[in-house]
Order: sequence, then C-alpha cells, then structure tokens
Amino acid sequence: MKLLTKTTLYFLIAMIPLLAAGGFFLFHQFSKEINQRVDRELIHEEIQWIEYVESATWNGGNFILQTPDILIYPVRQPVTEFPSISDTYGYRAKDDVQIPLRQLTHVVSINGTPYLITIRRSQEQKTALVANVTWIMLLVFIGLFIVTLIFNWIISKSLWQPFRSSLQKVRNIELQKLENIHFEQTDTAEFNELNASLNTMTQKIYSDYVNMKEFTENAAHEMQTPLAVVQSKMELLLQDSNLNESQVEAILQTTTALSRLSKLVQSLLLLAKIENNQYETTKSLSLADTTKKYLELFDELIKDKDITIDTSFTGNFMINLHPLLADSLVSNLLGNAIKYNKAGGNINISISDQEYSISNTSDLPKIDPQYLFKRFKKPANSPESSTGLGLSIVKKIIDTHHLTISYEAEHGIHRFCIKRR
Amino acid sequence: MKVLIIEDEQALQQSIQTYLEHQGFICEAVGDFLTGIDKIHQYQYDCVVVDIGLPYGSGLDIVKELKNVESKTGIIIISAKNALEDKLKGLELGSDDYLTKPFHLSELNARIHAIIRRRNFGGNKTIMFNEISLEPEALQVAVNGKAVELTDKEYQLLEYFIANKRRVLTKAAIAAHIWGDEYEQVSSYDFIYTHIKNLRKKLIDAGSGDYIKTVYGTGYRFTDS
Repeated sequence: MKLLTKTTLYFLIAMIPLLAAGGFFLFHQFSKEINQRVDRELIHEEIQWIEYVESATWNGGNFILQTPDILIYPVRQPVTEFPSISDTYGYRAKDDVQIPLRQLTHVVSINGTPYLITIRRSQEQKTALVANVTWIMLLVFIGLFIVTLIFNWIISKSLWQPFRSSLQKVRNIELQKLENIHFEQTDTAEFNELNASLNTMTQKIYSDYVNMKEFTENAAHEMQTPLAVVQSKMELLLQDSNLNESQVEAILQTTTALSRLSKLVQSLLLLAKIENNQYETTKSLSLADTTKKYLELFDELIKDKDITIDTSFTGNFMINLHPLLADSLVSNLLGNAIKYNKAGGNINISISDQEYSISNTSDLPKIDPQYLFKRFKKPANSPESSTGLGLSIVKKIIDTHHLTISYEAEHGIHRFCIKRR
Repeated sequence: MKVLIIEDEQALQQSIQTYLEHQGFICEAVGDFLTGIDKIHQYQYDCVVVDIGLPYGSGLDIVKELKNVESKTGIIIISAKNALEDKLKGLELGSDDYLTKPFHLSELNARIHAIIRRRNFGGNKTIMFNEISLEPEALQVAVNGKAVELTDKEYQLLEYFIANKRRVLTKAAIAAHIWGDEYEQVSSYDFIYTHIKNLRKKLIDAGSGDYIKTVYGTGYRFTDS
C-alpha cells in the first residue's frame, strides 16, 4: 500500500469517531432545543386548558375531556405543584405506528376539584432529525474523502517527485557505474537527507568495490611470484643427479601441488574479474568455432581415453562474449566431459543458433544439483588435479551473459545445455 | 650468447640465472629498474628477460627504451599478471614474448632460444646437436645430412629437447610446452609417451644416437652423455 494511501486511510478512520461524536452532539443540541420549545408550548396549552376548565366549571359540575392528545378529568390525588414533562411512546391511530411523544402531566386544583391534565405532543420530527444529522455527517465524510483524494493525487504528483526520481536511480544502479551516480538537492528537507545518505552510501560502496577489486587482483598477483620462486627451485632441484627415488617423487608431488595452487589462484581471480564485469565486450563470437578449437586442442586427451566424439553443428551460437571467457566456458565443459568420461566412452556436442548442448557418458552418479555450481564442491572421486572451480566459472559466465544452463543425468549420460535467456 | 635478467625477486633471479648458464648462456642479473636501464645502455645483449613490476620503474619502460635505441636485443617479459591487456601492451611495445609466472625454467629457456634465433637475421639459424640438425624455418630435421620425416609435434618435441639438452624435463612441462597450458593439469601423461617413442624410433632409425633417456617416474632427458 502506498504511504500516502495509508496516511489517508488512517486519517479517514480517525475521522469516523470524530464525525460520530459531532453527529451525536448535534443531535443532542437539536433535540434539547426541540424539547424546550415543545415544553413551552405544552405549558402554554395547559394554561389555556386550565383557564377553559375554570370558566366551564365555575358554577359547579365536573369537566371531562378525552381525546388521543388531551386527557382532562378529576381525580382523588394530591395536587402537584409543577407539571411533569416526560418522553413516552404512543400509537398513532391512523396507521398503528409507534411514535415518540412528549407528555405533560399535572394534577391541578381547579375551583377546588383536583384535575389530572395530560397533554401529549407527537415528536415524529425528532426521528427525522436523527436521519438528517446522519445524512449531513455522511455528506461531510464523503466530501472530506473526495477532497483528500484530490489532495493526495496532487501531493503524490509533485511533492513525492524527488523521492521517485531517487528511487529510479537506485533501481538502475550498476556497480561499475556507481562513480557517476549523484542524488541531487531538492527543496524538501527529508528528501535532501535521504539523498545525502544515498550519496554517502554509493560513494562508500564504490570505494569499497574498487578496493576489493584491487585487493583481489593484487592478492592473486602477489601470490604468483612466490609460486614462481618455488617452482623454479623445484625444477633446479630436479636436475641434481644425486637424488634418490623418493626425493624425486617428493619434488614432483610438490611441483604438482604448486601448479594446482597457481591454477586455483588464477581461477579465483578469473571469477572475481567476471563478477566485476572486467570482460565486457561488444564483439560477438561463435561458440561453435571455440568448440572446434578445443576439440583439436584436447585431441590427445580424447584419443588417450579412446573417446568417440559426435558433433552436430547446425548453427554457430553467436554470442557477445570475451574470447577469454569463451575459451574458459568451452574448455571447462569439454574438459569435464573428457575428465569424467569412462574409457571408450562418448561425447555428444550439438550446437544450433539457440542451443549449445554437450553430453558425455560417465560411470559417476548424477551430481547433486545443490552442489553443482558451488565453489570447491567436487565429486568425491574426482581427479586430484581438479580445482573444484570449473563449473562455478561456467555458471558465472552464464549468469553474466543472459544465458541459462541446465544439467541432467540419465542412464549414465550427463548433459549440460546452454540456452539464451 | 648474452642474456640480461631484470627481476627483483632475488630467489627467482638466481634460479633463472643458474638454469640459463647451464644451458650455455652468459647471464647478468639485476634487481631494479635503474640498474636495468644502465645495463642496456652499456652493453649489447642477445636477449633481455624483464619483469614488469620493478623497484623504481616499470619493466614496460625498459621495453620502450630498448626500442628507442633500436636495439636488436630480443625481449621477453615475465610477469605475475596474466591480464590480456598487459600481454597485448607488452607485445605492442615491442616485446617478443610474454610469460606468466609461475613458469617452467625449461619453457623460458626454450622461448629465449626461439627469440634469439628469430632475431638472428641473415645469420645461420640451423640448430645442431651432434649429428642432428634442425632447420626451424622449414621445420626440417636431418641426421647426418639425411632428412627425417617428423610430425609437427615430434618436431616441436625435438626442438624443445635440444634447447633444454641435458636437463630433466617433467612430463607436465613437456605437455604444457607442446599442447598448451590446459595440459598441465591432466591426470595422465601417457599420450606423451607415444609421441616420444615415435620420435626416438625415427631418430635412431635414421642413424642418430639414442639421446632420449627416460628418467624413471619423472620425465625425460635429452643427453649424449
């Protein structure tokens, strides 16, 4: 719900008891006014009746009058000093509807005889009064409602404009272009505060981002030099003819671990760089060509495992992708298809303009989809040389280039399929 | 052949120097930009191995300076940065090659050999090892003057072996040199064996000595002793 709608709603809800109270007060006031007037009229009428009865009975005799509105007859009751006026209900004769009445009763002594005088006045107009007041209040409420709506619309159009433009900016923010984002001054204090905070925040995020980027790159680079030192020393050590077998073995294992470490660092750096969009390009290339290149390059490995390759290239799968990332994407997928294949197995690559699919035979069980693209999650029986980053890199490239990748494994055939989003 | 090594990491500098001297180069090694600039002004080198990140300056400026003085020196950049832009920039400035750390010393050595040979305009480019001779431009091999038919891979292997003669070469280094970096991490290097077996057989059949020795569990060594 919009903030403005909400405040309006609360405002209107708050108005209801206020209007009700106003209506009640109004009704009460009117009703008091009406009662006073009726009472005066009743008393006035009573006085006239007393005068009439007095003159009618001055020479003795009783007077009795009985109409629906006026009752006058002698009683054996003590005389009351003042007339009592009260509200009561009675039936209207013609349609038998109960109506409110104002009734005056008084026992007065006329020419020595106590008479009970009862005079009633219909108060039908009072019922109408309640309806009238309710109507007025309802009209006020509706008027208020409409006026508030119009005001809200105007307010939301003009007053909230700066807020909306800031929001739009935040929505379109890209990390690399954060440097150029600036939230302008407005003539509303609250929005100025908000924009100032947003400015500080974006600047902070940008400088953190730059630092982070530099740190990742520098850390990766700084690691390569000591690795190079160890690598070179190992290579020199290996030249020593006095080494025994176990020493040579130790050196070789060290060298292998070293090159794995170096590969790992490079892969992490690559991941970071893809995340930072440092491989943006406007040129498009053909994934089919890249695949052909790697099929040739991996020829020895394919032959070594006696794997047969089936290809069906019906399109090129042209895509805006940095050549380095295309290499990484294809070499990881094809490399895995070879690495996890069984001896004498098969790889099937089919490329159309819309779909890139690579499947391979394997004795390995289906990869848990939960861990498929997770960093450092590799199958328990994967070769030592695996960095556990290959598919993470693939996924990162897919995610940053408007592609989707799906994986399925059935009857010993594992298949990855890339489609455009 | 004289090689200048400009690398600030002492241990690496020493390793390179040791290896190259073993392979018959005369080496000088310096550890910072200023000494490096001094050296290239004072002496003529066949090849300069230069790191990009140096104290007091960038290795790229040394490349520029060498190009300014129109030196015939071959240049190979060794850098921790694997960034494509750095590579392109180095090559654009006139460097002959670019090697990313960490690298195999045998790889660096093979590349220096190739650069010096390429730069040796008009000179004799034939690579000789006893009775074996290689013509790099024609990719031809002869034993005692008699041509031997080799595949591309076999030729590359032989050239790599001769450049790194008498050194133990690991299978990983060989695979990375011939088939590319992707091959450094494969689980089995059995495929190398096939190529080496064929090369060895062809050379012996042509009448050369049996120079390719298997170093058990490690790799191979090309040696006449």
